[in-house]
Parts: sequence; structure tokens; C-alpha cells
Amino acid sequence: MLEIDNLRITYGKHTALGGVGMAVDKGECVVILGANGAGKSSLLKAVGGVVRPASGVISHEGQDLAQVPAHEIVERGIALVPEGRGIFARMSVADNLALGCHPARARGGAEARRREVLELFPRLAERQKQLVGTMSGGEQQMVAIARALMSNPDLLLLDEPSLGLAPIVTKEVFAALGRIRETGLTLLIVEQNVRASLALASRGYLLEAGRVVGSGSAEQLQSDPAVQRAFLGGTSEPLENELN
Amino acid sequence: MFLSTLFLGLVLGGTYALLALGLSLQYGIARIMNLAYGEFMLLACFAVTMMFTSWGLGPLWGLLIVVPLGYALGWIIHTVMMRPLIKRSGGGGRLEVDTILATFGLLFVVQGLMLVTFGSDFTSYSYLNQGIGILGTTIAANRLIAFVVSLVIGFGLYAMLIRTRWGRALRAVSLAPDSAYLVGIDVGKLGRQGFALGGALAAAGGALVSMFQTFSATDGVVFTMKALIVVIMGGVGNILGALIAGLLLGLAETFVAAFIDPGLTMAATYTMFLAVLLWRPTGLFGKAGG
Ligand SMILES: Nc1ncnc2c1ncn2[C@@H]1O[C@H](COP(=O)(O)OP(=O)(O)OP(=O)(O)O)[C@@H](O)[C@H]1O
Ligand SMILES: [Mg+2]
Repeated sequence: MLEIDNLRITYGKHTALGGVGMAVDKGECVVILGANGAGKSSLLKAVGGVVRPASGVISHEGQDLAQVPAHEIVERGIALVPEGRGIFARMSVADNLALGCHPARARGGAEARRREVLELFPRLAERQKQLVGTMSGGEQQMVAIARALMSNPDLLLLDEPSLGLAPIVTKEVFAALGRIRETGLTLLIVEQNVRASLALASRGYLLEAGRVVGSGSAEQLQSDPAVQRAFLGGTSEPLENELN
Repeated sequence: MFLSTLFLGLVLGGTYALLALGLSLQYGIARIMNLAYGEFMLLACFAVTMMFTSWGLGPLWGLLIVVPLGYALGWIIHTVMMRPLIKRSGGGGRLEVDTILATFGLLFVVQGLMLVTFGSDFTSYSYLNQGIGILGTTIAANRLIAFVVSLVIGFGLYAMLIRTRWGRALRAVSLAPDSAYLVGIDVGKLGRQGFALGGALAAAGGALVSMFQTFSATDGVVFTMKALIVVIMGGVGNILGALIAGLLLGLAETFVAAFIDPGLTMAATYTMFLAVLLWRPTGLFGKAGG
């Protein structure tokens, strides 16, 4: 579904990604782990058409995305929840959701999708008129995810959905992502919360300084010394304990 | 005296509000501070006048003709003149400075063309000039019509921005241009449409003003200034704010002219403007930092 090959991203002289390859199959949930500055957001931005790669290939359903403008990416079925969420803070929840179905591909069945999304995030249903900027961080993240779902995507990209959220809110967001995953939607998640994301994902990659330094199933990554070193501080207790 | 002044003020304010809406859309959505805005409005004044005096076409019909033309002209100017500036600026703050300089130049080009074509005399025509009695006072029918039409257009625009898909997208571009791509909005295209829509409103404002006011080819800058004052008083991008601020400005001008001294009208306008800038820089209804 999504194939990335030898992707290089540079900002001036600085190389953020130095030849990264990965693939995501339909229905999978894949996580990209990596410390600050590893290049995770750059990678998602490249897929989202916001950052143009210096070289390499990003293809979606067999089609090259290199020349696709950022605003057309969502029409291809790729919805991005960026770092910082990119919501319309000075508009209401209802407006944000309505804008979510702005893409032409999202116009059919918008009402049904709105109902599903509000079932997924009941908190939003009660606050349709509230300005999103006045909501808590967790609620804003829910708006961002809900808005992305409104675009009728077949691939959802999430950049650190747990960033800045209290553990209990992170749990709620990941529980919702779990339910989204069950619908068969393909997910590619960038995270630093290793426990939560490995409990959700089936597979993952570890990025370090712009390169893939590890990959494998969630279990493999969980016990990968590089991951342990980077995030877990050496502990290897079962992840479920953390989540439930 | 009081009532008739009140009505006159409201009528004048209604057209100010309408003019300000167009400028506000162009600045809020396309990020272009159009200093030639008043010139576009004057073009509509002259066009409607010509259609009335040479073809006998009523100004309301004229309005229906100049509004789409205003949209088209806005679209063309954006495409030909603004797009290269936008491309060059790469979305930075340089765009604002560049477009102010560019539209400042455009102001004189359009003004020169109008001076050559229409001369520098004051122009007006007489249309439905008879008085209508309301609440014991009389007001010219043309002013009343202009007022009602401005309100209809103003609230229609407001409803469009709030309720329709296009309006929501325009608002999204105005409020968060960097996020709009996430929902498939082409900011460049919507910016062009917003600028064109502003042109349509300038044309509507011009058509209505011409119904009851004399004007000359060099008046554009006055209208631009007034529209700018209303936009800042109402809060940039705030449609209802612009409507109310426009009415307030119209009232202030007429009351000062009627009860203090007609020569102080402009002074009153700028005093209000300065007061707002000093104490409520985000507009009368703006939130701090908003
Ligand atoms: N617009 C930019 N201009 C210059 N350098 C940039 C830019 N964006 C990112 N970088 C650099 O590229 C590298 C990778 O950044 P990126 O944001 O992709 O990392 P990240 O893995 O998402 O980090 P974090 O976990 O902190 O979000 C960093 O060294 C960063 O400083
Ligand atoms: Mg990041």
C-alpha cells in the first residue's frame, strides 16, 4: 500500500533522512520509533507532500507521490495528523469535522462517517459547538484524528499522537486507535511512547539519526536492545500492564 | 433631526460595512492588503452610472452586472499580478509588503485610467431621489434601497461563510492557512477566490454608493481608508465585527456632521480609528491576541 525506498531528506546542508526504506501493507498498523531529531516527522511530512525529498521514492498504491501537491495527498486516501495536530483552533468541533470531509473523495457518506467518528469519540459529540482551541490537549488530539477520519482515508498517518498528553489520556487515545485499527484502516504511527505504540502496532521500525537501525514485529522490537537503550531504560516488563 | 440623522448614519454605515467586508476578505483570505480597493469600487460607480445614463439600466440591474465583473477582475489581477509575488515570497511576511507596494502602484494606474476616461469632475445621477417617510422623518428612497441591499449582501455573505462548504474552506484558509492542506484545500486557489470575492464586494459597494453619493475619479483612496478603518475596528477577518463597525462609523460621521461641524467628519473618523488602535488593537470585538 505504501512503499518508501531510499528516501533522502535534506534541509540545506543538514541531512534529516539518509536513505530510508520501509513498506506498509493494507490493514497493517506500523509504528516508527525514534528519539528526538531522528527524522520521524520529516518522513511523515514527505509522505504528506509537505516536504519534498532530495531523492528516493514514495509510492502509494503503485503511484509515485513525488509530484503530488500536499493538498491532493488527502484525495489519494492518505490522511495526516501532523505534529502539533494542525487543527483549526479558532473553529468549532463541528466545523473541523465538516472541513474533514472537504476532499471530494469524502463527500459521499459523510453523515454516516460523522456518526461513526462521534461514537468513537463521544466527548466530541457533546462539544460540537466548542472552539477547538479552548479544548484540552487530549480533546484536541481527538479532533485531529476525527477530522482525519472524516476524509475517508485508507491510510492514516499519525505523528506522535501521545505528545504532551497525560498517561490516562494517552490510554484513551490509543484505545480509540485500537478500535480504528479493527475497522481495517491502515495505520502508520510515529511515536516515542514505545509501550503504548508497540502494544497497538503489529510491526515497527526504529529510526536513529535519519537511518533505519532496526525493524521487526512488535515483540521483537520490544526486546531489541537498541529500543531498550533508546526508550525503555532497560526494563522489559510486559507491555499490557502499562496499558490496562 | 435626531431620527433622520440616525437613519442617514445607518445607511452610510451599511455601505461602509459592505466595502469593508470585501477588503477584509482580500486581506484575511488572500493575505493581500489591497490599497487599490477604492479604485475598484470607483470603477463600479462609473460603470453603473454609464449603464444608467446611456442605456437607462437601473443601478440595481447594474449591480447584478458589475458584481460578477468585479469577481472576474479580482481573479485576473490576482492571477496576473499577485501570483508571481506569492510564489516569490514563499509564504513569508514579505508578501504583505510586496502586495502593499504592488497595489499602491495599481491604485495610480487605475486612477490614471479613470481620469483619462471619465475626467476629474464629480459625477452623479438621479435615481429614486424622492423621500420616503419613516417614523416621522423622511429619507431618500435610493439611500434606503442601498441600505437594505447592503444588509442583504452582508448577512448573505455571513451565512455563506458559516454554512456552505466553500465558505467554511475560505474561513479555514483565513484562520489557519498552514493547516488547510490537511483537508485537501488548495490555499492558492482559495486565496484567488477570496480576492475575487473581495472584488465582487467592492463592485457591489460601488454600485450602491453611486446611487446616492457624488464621486470623482480621485475618491478611491478615501473609500479605501474608510474600509480599512472599519476592518481594523471590526477585527481583521471578523465579518459581523465589520458590519457593526461599518454602521458605527457611518453613525459617527453623520452625527458629527449634523450636530457638531461637517468639517470635522474626517477628524471624527480618524479619532475613532486611533482610539481603537490604542485601546482595542485587535478590533472592538477581538480577543486579545486573537
Ligand atoms: N524545516 C527544517 N529546517 C531545518 N532543519 C530541520 C527542519 N525540520 C527538521 N529539521 C531537522 O531535521 C532533523 C529531523 O527532524 P524531525 O522533525 O524529522 O525529527 P523527529 O524525529 O520528528 O523529532 P521529534 O521527536 O523531536 O519530533 C532534526 O535534526 C531537525 O533539526
Ligand atoms: Mg517529530
